[in-house]
Amino acid sequence: MAEGDRSPGLMKTRRWPFLISTGAAILIAGFFLVQNIGNDLVYYLTPYEAVTQRPDFPDGRRFRLAGVVVEGSLQEGSDPLRFDLTDGASTIAVLLTDTPPLLFDEDVNVLLDGAWQDDYYRADGALVSHDENYQAPAVTGASGS
Amino acid sequence: MKKKVLAILTVLALAAGLATAFTSPPDVLQGDFVRILYIHVPSAWLAFLAFGVTAAGSIGWLFTHRMGWDRVAEASAETGVLFTAVALATGMIWGKPVWGTYWDWGDARLATTALMFFVYLGYLALRRTTSDPYRQARRSSVLGAVAVVQVPLVYFSVKLWRTLHQGLTIRPDGIQMDGAMITALLVNLGAFTLLYLTLVSFRTELAGLEEAAHDSEASVRSRVTVPRLGEVEA
Repeated sequence: MAEGDRSPGLMKTRRWPFLISTGAAILIAGFFLVQNIGNDLVYYLTPYEAVTQRPDFPDGRRFRLAGVVVEGSLQEGSDPLRFDLTDGASTIAVLLTDTPPLLFDEDVNVLLDGAWQDDYYRADGALVSHDENYQAPAVTGASGS
Repeated sequence: MKKKVLAILTVLALAAGLATAFTSPPDVLQGDFVRILYIHVPSAWLAFLAFGVTAAGSIGWLFTHRMGWDRVAEASAETGVLFTAVALATGMIWGKPVWGTYWDWGDARLATTALMFFVYLGYLALRRTTSDPYRQARRSSVLGAVAVVQVPLVYFSVKLWRTLHQGLTIRPDGIQMDGAMITALLVNLGAFTLLYLTLVSFRTELAGLEEAAHDSEASVRSRVTVPRLGEVEA
């Protein structure tokens, strides 16, 4: 009988503080985890930030750089791949040693992983990020979408 | 049976959703990869809804101590974890060809979604620490009520932080999407909503059966005394 005895009301008042503090601890831990991911380790710099913060990032110190591949700057077939990255305010010359993703092209948003090397940003990793706009390709000869 | 009708409607709606997903136009940049959106986005949104319902059920139980609230909270949490897993998996499958990677811990949307997934797995694990339905409710209801703060965090993560994941397509200033794509998304959203309702209604019924089974087992156990080994032999 002793093992099967589970009167619900008995432990009620004693468990409450435990449950609330556990819940709070999980939330606080989650908050700090997210804070760390989001703020302390800045996910990426824009070309403008990279240029203005150049003294903070000596050659070889890794950071991520995100921007748009400048139209007409991509030198097809060059190794490492050579192109310019811009955010509208600043433009940085980039050398990419890795094979870029499938959708990599001019006028596309990219996120690079690398470091300064003199006046170049030398990247050994590239990701393509698309924006939140979804469009159907324009159909020639048809009207509307 | 009402549930059977709901299940049949769900299957039909999912078929219609699949048809619209394949007949909608490709994206100008992503091409056919964009079609994963019609599973990925409804899964994520239904997960948000599911965890909202879990919070409502948990709060309902905390105020009334009626087990019906807790059954819905449990059913919705399980369904929400399933939808979150689908959203994570389809997101990774989508990310590889389009971004160039399956996963990136630096991305706040990805990291917060993974955190939400594990917290709700924890919620389900917490419920498994006992088979007593009343204790399950008491142990998990507070977590079920507070864990929902992650939903707005995940949703707005793309605005709060710099991410690889794109921003909000549906914004106050308009929907940044082709008309035929919106239609396909809405059809799939409807289908996934029906799927959610089907899964939750069946799972809630199952929770009621589990509860009845536990109660009858408990009442049997209270009437039967376990014989001691020595006494049996004697």
